[in-house]
Amino acid sequence: MSIDVELQAAAIKYKNKQKVKDRFISAFIGIFAIAWIFPIVWTVWTSLRPYKDVRAHGVFSMPKTLNLQNYADAISRMDLPLYFWNTFAITVPAVFLTLFFGSLIAFVVSRYSFRWNVSLLLLFTAGNLLPAQLVFIPVFKMYITLGKAVGIPRLLYDSPWGVVLIHVAFQMGFATFVLSSYMKTVPKEISESAMVDGATVFTHYTKVMLPLLRPALASLGVLMTTWIYNDFFWALVLMSTDSKRPITSALGRLQGEFVTDYNLLAAGAVIAALPTLIVFFVLRKQFVSGLTLGSTKG
Amino acid sequence: MSEVTNGISRRSVLKGAAVGGLGLAAGGSLLAGCGSKATGPLAYGARSVDAGPTAQNKALIAAYTAKTKNEVKYNATESNAFQNNLSQYLQGTPDDTFEWMAGYRMQFFAEQGLLADLTDVWGAIGDQYADSYKIASTGLDGKQYFVPKSWYPWGMHFRKSMFKDLGLSADTVTNWDEFLKMLDGMKKKGLVGFAAGDKGGWEAMGTFDILNARINGYQFHVDLLAGREKWTDAKVLDVFTHWAQLIPYMNPNVLDLEWDGAMQLLLQKKAGSMLMGSWFGGNFKEQSQADYDDLSIIPFPEINPEHGRDTVDAPIDGWCVAANGTNNSGGSDFLKFAGDMEGVNATLAAKDANGALIPMTSANNGQDTSTYDAFQKEQMAVMDEAKYITQFLDRDTRPDFAGPVVGPAIQSWFKNPKDVNKIVDSLQAQWDALPPLA
Repeated sequence: MSIDVELQAAAIKYKNKQKVKDRFISAFIGIFAIAWIFPIVWTVWTSLRPYKDVRAHGVFSMPKTLNLQNYADAISRMDLPLYFWNTFAITVPAVFLTLFFGSLIAFVVSRYSFRWNVSLLLLFTAGNLLPAQLVFIPVFKMYITLGKAVGIPRLLYDSPWGVVLIHVAFQMGFATFVLSSYMKTVPKEISESAMVDGATVFTHYTKVMLPLLRPALASLGVLMTTWIYNDFFWALVLMSTDSKRPITSALGRLQGEFVTDYNLLAAGAVIAALPTLIVFFVLRKQFVSGLTLGSTKG
Repeated sequence: MSEVTNGISRRSVLKGAAVGGLGLAAGGSLLAGCGSKATGPLAYGARSVDAGPTAQNKALIAAYTAKTKNEVKYNATESNAFQNNLSQYLQGTPDDTFEWMAGYRMQFFAEQGLLADLTDVWGAIGDQYADSYKIASTGLDGKQYFVPKSWYPWGMHFRKSMFKDLGLSADTVTNWDEFLKMLDGMKKKGLVGFAAGDKGGWEAMGTFDILNARINGYQFHVDLLAGREKWTDAKVLDVFTHWAQLIPYMNPNVLDLEWDGAMQLLLQKKAGSMLMGSWFGGNFKEQSQADYDDLSIIPFPEINPEHGRDTVDAPIDGWCVAANGTNNSGGSDFLKFAGDMEGVNATLAAKDANGALIPMTSANNGQDTSTYDAFQKEQMAVMDEAKYITQFLDRDTRPDFAGPVVGPAIQSWFKNPKDVNKIVDSLQAQWDALPPLA
């Protein structure tokens, strides 16, 4: 009897302790959540105020007017359909090619053992370590030289395909790394039985591995889409015609030479961020699993 | 370094604008012959996506196409992106003619063979421009690579109404002592005397330019920026000593404000004066006509009587032709038209979204200055008083020195003005460490 009471008391004490701990953690997380959400809320808030009002009364003044005029202006000045199409024309081929080539290499280095397979994997992963700013001059010169050599100056430079290629080259390292880690978690026996049944290398890849890779490909595809969608740098340095550039550079159209209307820019930023936000909320699960993909090795 | 002098010829031409109008009209019709050859379609690279310049460019291009039947493809890029990417742009597949800046910024690319020689364009339209513009358009090899469009001066801006309330006028702020007295008076009234922002790193370069030119003169300034003088010179330290005297009158958050933050202080009547380029008049006008009418500019006060007020920062914007373009002769042909009074008039006729004319101070002698508004006339007066024109620090020295080195150096000086010796040492050391220009 007394033991029961004691146990109960201990349980309550433990529960209370846990409650305090939970509250502390919640408060801690809450603070971080606010710190993260603040810039986004501030952007939305800014986008609703006219610049004229801010210029005359300061950023921290109470707003005289709140409206959606900035959004209307941003949409008309950004030439949205054209730039969204440009982004689409770059992102979709780039993501597909990255996943295709990445899975091919990952397949070979993880399923077949030969002399160079680890070094090959390392080579592809190492490509990830080079910052884009470092390699862009050689890439740029290469594109120009190649264009001159074949007599079509815009073969790769100032062409969406040039940008697609560089994205494929850059993202493939990460894709290979992630997919090969994932493939290593697939039991070897599946591959062995496929080979025993007489599957060729190609059949082994298309009929056995690809279906198993589907969840990994989906997650990686979502990640790649947002990364390539958000790129500004490559399109800027590898293209000279502004009307071929993606949506991220259209944001620049809202920026003046001297004056930057941050309220208008905020509206543009919200618009440009919308597709990524939608992708995130629809495919949240894939997103999270994509980020942790390959972190556990079987 | 461009030796830009604002000669007597220009001033006399401007003074005789009323008489000159006739002669120039005749000149215009004589020159109307050029630009009419069919040189084929060309591409135009704009360095701005702003509404005003875009309307001007479109009007100019429409006039050119109407006259020559040459189609012009318009490619506009936001100015910062365009500027940062210019080197790649010019080596790749550039537009035939593109918007750029005069002076060192142009010479830098001309030296690399990326700009087309425009000597023949100057042969056709050169007599419509003062010598100072020709010099600013000339590369180190003596050929012209640039056609000027417009300019704006840097000077002390204030509000007429506030000046009146303070019992001041342009004549009572002509030298350093009077200037400090003015700032003191503003401070006593609870105003920011000298509104400043340097978050972008370039804004305060204008203050350095003018102080250096006033204290040490034009020649020392250009020599310093070209590396012929040392940053560790006592003369440079003297500039910072004078500058430090202004700090008590500045807003305390200089490094948190971009230039337009400083402008807002003036617009909201929280600040009494601001040193800035006159381009921002457009912002005042956008706010309201009354604010624009209240805006005024005077030259920065004299410090060293030896140099008086003989120098002004007045950046010139205009066009170049890209050597790697597909139609160089088309590009030159376009600039012959754009630089000619006929093209200037087409540009000036452009209207903004509200149907109002867009204020522009053209580099062409032929612009009818009687149509200038009061603020433009004051800009003109600031320009005319100066004997020497500089472009602005980041246009007058190496691009790999101005932005990455001078900008942060001035910002760190704002953080700790006592470090001035360390800062000039580091400036000189970083200049010495720069690779020679190819």
